[in-house]
Amino acid sequence: MTYDFAVIGAGVSGITSAITLAKKGFHVALLEKADRTAPLVRGFSRRGIHFDTGFHYTGGLGSGQPLDVFFRYLGISDRIVSFQYDEDGFDLFSCENPGFEFRFPTGYNRLQETLGEAFPRERGAIANYLAQVRSMCASIPYLNLNMEIDPNGALQRVLGPTLQETLDALSGNALLKSLLSTHSLLYGVSCNEVAFAQHAAIVGSYYESVHGIRGGGASLARAFDGRLAELGVDVLCNSKVTGLSISNGGALSGVRLEGGDSLACRGAIATIHPRLIPELAPEGTFRPAYRKRLGTFEETISAFACFAATKMPIPTLAKTNRFLIPDTESIYQLGSRPIGRAPLYLTAAYKNGETNPQGFIGICPTLFSAVSAWESSSFGNRPEEYRLYKEQALARMQAQIERAYPDITGNVQFIEGSTPLTIRDFCSTPLGGLYGAKHMVGQFNPHSATRIPGLFLAGQAIVAPGLMGAIISGFLACGTLLGHDFMRRELKACC
Amino acid sequence: MTDQDIIDRINSSLAEEFEFALAEMTPDTTLFEDMGLDSLDVVDLVIVLETAFGMKIREEEAIRKIRTLGDIHTFVIDKKRQMESA
Repeated sequence: MTYDFAVIGAGVSGITSAITLAKKGFHVALLEKADRTAPLVRGFSRRGIHFDTGFHYTGGLGSGQPLDVFFRYLGISDRIVSFQYDEDGFDLFSCENPGFEFRFPTGYNRLQETLGEAFPRERGAIANYLAQVRSMCASIPYLNLNMEIDPNGALQRVLGPTLQETLDALSGNALLKSLLSTHSLLYGVSCNEVAFAQHAAIVGSYYESVHGIRGGGASLARAFDGRLAELGVDVLCNSKVTGLSISNGGALSGVRLEGGDSLACRGAIATIHPRLIPELAPEGTFRPAYRKRLGTFEETISAFACFAATKMPIPTLAKTNRFLIPDTESIYQLGSRPIGRAPLYLTAAYKNGETNPQGFIGICPTLFSAVSAWESSSFGNRPEEYRLYKEQALARMQAQIERAYPDITGNVQFIEGSTPLTIRDFCSTPLGGLYGAKHMVGQFNPHSATRIPGLFLAGQAIVAPGLMGAIISGFLACGTLLGHDFMRRELKACC
Repeated sequence: MTDQDIIDRINSSLAEEFEFALAEMTPDTTLFEDMGLDSLDVVDLVIVLETAFGMKIREEEAIRKIRTLGDIHTFVIDKKRQMESA
C-alpha cells in the first residue's frame, strides 16, 4: 500500500501536519518512535499528580485569537477545556536583588499601564517596546492570516537586531530590561542572541491572553488522538524512521523503519531535529554545505527540572506562574549561573480533576555541559555519580524555592528530577536543548522545502518553539506543499 | 591576497561544498542553470562565502543580482577591497 504522505514524528507539528493533510483527503501515516503520540506534551503522572513536561501555558488562545482559530481548524476545540490565567498577573516576576515584584497582566493596554506604574520614568520606552512587539506580531504570516508569505521575512530573525540591542536602545533601566527579557525562558535563547523579531512573535501572543488547558498536555494529546482517529490517519507508534527512500527521478518514494520494514509514500513531512535529517537521506542527496548547516545548528538552553507534590494545595499557583530571578544580570545569559542561584520558573501541577494545584514543576536553565561526563549513559544505566549530581542539584533547587516562597516552605515533597540528559533522551534533541534547535541572530534555520522533491520539514526548529510555533510550522509545511493561499483560506474559514 | 587567490578560494570552496567539478567552473558559468543551484541553496552559498573569507555579506543588496560565478568573483573581490581600505 502506498500512502500519500508519511509524517515523521507525532509531536504537535507532526500531528498538525497529519490532520491538515487528512482533512484535504490524503491518506496519511503518522510515524512515531515512542510508544505513544505527543510524548513530550503528554507529560507523566506520579502519586496521582499529573506533571506536564512540554505544555504549561499558552498565549493566543482567547476567542478569535490565532491559537483559538488553529484549534478550531484542527478540530480539537470541543475536545479540550481551556481556562484563563489571572488577568491581573499570569506571571509573577520576583527579583531577589534588588528586591522587586511584578505581575504581568494580560492585554497590551493594561500591561503598558502596569509597567508604567512600576517604572514611571520609562513610560516612553515601555510604550515604544510594546508598539514594536505588536507591529512585529501583525507582520508575521499565519500569526496574522492576512499577511502574505515574504521570502525575505525570515531574514529579520537572522539579521537582528537582538532583543538586548532593542532594549538597550530604548532604556537604561536594568531592572526593566531584565523583566522584559524574562520570557526568554519560554524559548530558551539568551536576549543577546535572540532576534527581537523572534522574541516579539512569541511573547506577543502572551501579552494578548494567557490560558491553560484542564488536564494539561495529556488532555491535549488525547484530543489530538481522537481527531487523528476520526480522520482515518494511520498512527504507527514504535516506528522509528531510519532512512528515506528516493526514486530514480530523485523524488521521495518512501521511508524505511527500524527493524527493516518500509513504507511507500509520495511525500513526507519530517518534524525531527534538523541535525538528524542528513542521517536519513542517502549519501549525496543533500549538498555538503546544507548537511553542514543542519549539522551545526546551535541548541537552545537545556534545563534541570524538579517535580514536587505539596501537602496542602497552593491556590495562588493555579493561575499565576512564578519567575524567580536572583539578580538583574542573571537572566541575560541563560545557563551562566549554577543551579540554586539561577533563574527559576515554577508552574502548577494538579491531581486528576482538581482545579487547585497539589504540586508544581520547577525549571531552571542549565548547560548540557553540566552532565556531559555521563553523556554515553542512557535511561536505566546511569552511573552512581550521576545519581548523586541529580540529588545535589535537586537539593539546591529545593533550598532556592523554599527560601523564595514562604507559602511553599515546609509544604513540599520533591518527587522527581530531570536533567539535560533526560531531555536529550526523552525529546530526541541531540544536545538536550529544552526547545531543540535555537533561533538566533546569525543562524539560518531550515526552510520547510528541501532539495528532495516531496520532502518537507516542520517542527519548532523551522518556526518557533511552543504550541503556537509547532502548529504554525505544520501549517507552513502544508502551505508550502498545498499552497499558502489555500492554507490561509482554510484557516480563515475558522475565524 | 591577489584577485586570483580570491577566485581560487571561491572556486575551491564552492566545488567542495556544492560538489561541482572544478574543471567545469568558468566565470561564465551560471549558478542557477549550469550549476543547478536553486533559491534554497542561496543561504548556503552565503554561509560558504562568509566562512571562506571571514566576512559578513548576508545584508548586501548586491547578492541578489548575482547570476554567474564571475559575478561572485567580482562581488567578493570588491568586498575584500572595501574592507581593506576601510
